[in-house]
Amino acid sequence: MSNLRNVAVVGFAQAPIVTRDLHRTSQDMLYPQVRRALDECGVSRDDIDYQVAGSSDYIDGRPFGFVMALDVMGSWPPRQDLHVEMDAAFAAYYAWLRMQAGDCDTAIVCGYGKSSEGDLDRVLNLQLDPFYFGAIGLDPVATSALQASAFMEHSKKSDHDFAAIAARNRAAGVRNPDALLREVADPEVLSESEWVTGPLRRGYMSPYGETAVCLVLAAEGKAEAMCDRPAWIHGLDQRIEMQNIGARNLATSAGAQLATQKALAMAGLTAVKDCDFVELSATNPAEEMILCQAMDIDPEEERPVINPSGGPMCGNPIMMTGLIRLGEVFRQLSGRAGDHAVAGAQRGLAHAASGHCLQQNLVFVCGSERRWT
Amino acid sequence: MKRPVAVVGVGQTHHSARRADVSIAGLVREAVDRALLDAGLEHKDIDAIVIGKAPDQLEGVMQPEQYLAGALGAHMKPLLRVHTAGSVGASTALAAVTHVASGLFERVLTVAFEKQSEGNAMWALSPSLPFTPPLVAGAGGFFAPYCRAYIAKTGAPPHIGPMIAVNARENAMRNQYAHLREPVTLEEVTESFMLWEPIRYLETCPSSDGAVAMVLASEEAAKQGPRKPAWVKAGYSYAEAMWVPGRDQVSPRAGRDCVKHVYETAGITDPWNQIDTAEIYVPFSWFEAMWLENLGFCEEGEGWKVVDRGDQKFGRHLPINPSGGVMCTNPIGASGMLRLGETALQVMGRAGEHQVEGCKTALGHAYGGGAQYFAIWIVGDEM
Amino acid sequence: MSQPPETPIKYIESAIRLPYHHVAGDYRARYLRALRDKKILGSRCAATGKVFVPPIMSAPHSFAPADEFVELADRGVVTTYCVVNIPVIGREVELPYVAASVALDGADISIFAMLQECKAEEARMGMRVEAVWKPDGERTGDHTDILYFRPTGEPDAPRASFINRL
Repeated sequence: MSNLRNVAVVGFAQAPIVTRDLHRTSQDMLYPQVRRALDECGVSRDDIDYQVAGSSDYIDGRPFGFVMALDVMGSWPPRQDLHVEMDAAFAAYYAWLRMQAGDCDTAIVCGYGKSSEGDLDRVLNLQLDPFYFGAIGLDPVATSALQASAFMEHSKKSDHDFAAIAARNRAAGVRNPDALLREVADPEVLSESEWVTGPLRRGYMSPYGETAVCLVLAAEGKAEAMCDRPAWIHGLDQRIEMQNIGARNLATSAGAQLATQKALAMAGLTAVKDCDFVELSATNPAEEMILCQAMDIDPEEERPVINPSGGPMCGNPIMMTGLIRLGEVFRQLSGRAGDHAVAGAQRGLAHAASGHCLQQNLVFVCGSERRWT
Repeated sequence: MKRPVAVVGVGQTHHSARRADVSIAGLVREAVDRALLDAGLEHKDIDAIVIGKAPDQLEGVMQPEQYLAGALGAHMKPLLRVHTAGSVGASTALAAVTHVASGLFERVLTVAFEKQSEGNAMWALSPSLPFTPPLVAGAGGFFAPYCRAYIAKTGAPPHIGPMIAVNARENAMRNQYAHLREPVTLEEVTESFMLWEPIRYLETCPSSDGAVAMVLASEEAAKQGPRKPAWVKAGYSYAEAMWVPGRDQVSPRAGRDCVKHVYETAGITDPWNQIDTAEIYVPFSWFEAMWLENLGFCEEGEGWKVVDRGDQKFGRHLPINPSGGVMCTNPIGASGMLRLGETALQVMGRAGEHQVEGCKTALGHAYGGGAQYFAIWIVGDEM
Repeated sequence: MSQPPETPIKYIESAIRLPYHHVAGDYRARYLRALRDKKILGSRCAATGKVFVPPIMSAPHSFAPADEFVELADRGVVTTYCVVNIPVIGREVELPYVAASVALDGADISIFAMLQECKAEEARMGMRVEAVWKPDGERTGDHTDILYFRPTGEPDAPRASFINRL
């Protein structure tokens, strides 16, 4: 592959995830994060070439709801802009493509949305095709449970294994000041929590939350002045599968596997274990295990560390979960991960997912050094 | 834009009030299949899919691209879903251009659609924002006051809006895919029901079901194709905040900045004479006059005179919306891409009955939100 | 059911009912509560002094905070309007009615409002209007506390005074 442009994450601002913010609209939550991200990079809004955001009208409960975010992103004078109806991680993916096309050198990527305003499980039922799967009332818990069940059958993993993974994530969340759940959870207690939809117990589920995030990307030549230790993007790829959960092998994630292979190839790596840590958008232990298998990660090994931030099981702000994973990779590589830092981290992988049963997967591989010279 | 990007195929559905003969997937496939056929390609040749549509509440399916992934041939491919309100079809096409220009993808399928008969479009377009009094039903209620402001500012005579409507229908008669194709007379328009003064019923866009798709390709891939492609000379999407004090909603700055950038990159210094045709987003008659000015085709205040003289009619100096435009066909998510797709057909010489003779350079335009989002491109018959 | 239906099933109907509970945000909440006291609040941009109504946390043109609250008059000028002949969802109103953009005195942007006590053909750009409030005791701190705007009878405002507050 011929040389691509080196692009780095140079900034990331996030408010702590909360269950429900009673005082702020999603625009009110976003504005301070955009300001902070720019301030920390030492730039003004006018220094940024491009803005792109990810959010969902159905989660906002307003058709065209995302339009209001323009007013708090510094959209004056008029800016080059795009909005995707996807997790903001895909907005970052697009911004990276624009940099490769030579269309911009700097970009802000925003994620916002208040999942507390609607009944999220009912809303997400609408993602399913209206004739069959949606019509029978499947919600994301049910579809996750179907996948977890298929996985358990295939892998012979048990409820006990689920509890251990959930407890590990929760323990990590204690050290992440932005997580929603910040208390240690005893795996015994988790494995006695009530069934939500078997085989998923309450203790294994990701609590929905809300926050706002702003991530800053910059190309080589600009990145160096904006951050002392940028997180350089070495490779990325995304893949969607067909939705029909009856037609897919739910025990595996073919899309995550392919996206990971492609991202690693671009990064010049052969295996994910060449990364020091991974941040996976796994909303329950089965998803985490499925993704580890797809990415050929052996969870028994010390490296890569899985979800040093605690991951979505410590707080799932839905349309931003994936971008936060990339933000966490930035924090680790730039030495800003505080108490949840992975010692000596030089390479990390961020994963974002969309749709039921890991239908779409996006993988970023980042490193402390530039990829192409 | 580092690398040349070409349009190598265009396909669209027959647009109508209600495509009861196909599901959402069927509607989208009609456009996709036609685009692939047009390009001489198969699904396996496509490297990525970029899809756009307007609010999901219009069909009652959230992120329908997930349900449509199989129908789009997107299985195990990269897919991006764009949403920038009314301009979405155009900004989606531009996002697809970026995919090719990045060098990462050789051939990208881009699709835009709306099957708004499946939901309640009026409800979806009249969002009752919490804590805000509901004031008007429909998008027209928001824009009509600015049409009035334009008329007051320019002293335009009242027949201009109706003239635009008559002309749009005349154009649509030459477009086999258009939704509204029956001609109307000036009297019929002037006597039609006044919805939000000054906008009458026959000066308003319909609610349509429809889809459109294009295949964008790299230089190398384009040269392998069966036809002469349309080359993207420039394309940008801009947005501006809503509540800027003194914001000009008659000639929004985002539109002016966007088109200026497009002209600069495309090397256009005299749009009126260098552009052979333009497909611009006119959902309510008066916007045609307003956008002629905003796009720099004429001086400020002169847009209505262009219409009065008929210079923008088919066969005249600068035919505007030879396809009939949004006033004759409006599947909201698709309309922006229809504008851009029509310009590609024009410079490829494949616009059939509504072909503008000798068209070499065409401008495609769309807008959305409270006149905040603008996505514009120029295509030419040479790289 | 042992036999497939005689005619193929072509359509399904699905009614979607989703409850949403929206947070007003402190800025909007304060604005709404003030309506109960017949006060209209705006907020001022820290960098440029422009005033926004309803109040917002940040000014879109300057990207600066707009956290200083100011009180505005309950009267202003119609900057532009349209006459509406179709009913609006969620509201009982006689047709035709005038939907107007009203720039309150002291504000740098307009609010949308309904005009009443004014024949549709009498509405005009530059017309001075005032708020008509729900009577004392009936106001609850909701946007319906302002029933509508009506002409004050004052001479029209000069075009220059409102043309930038459309």
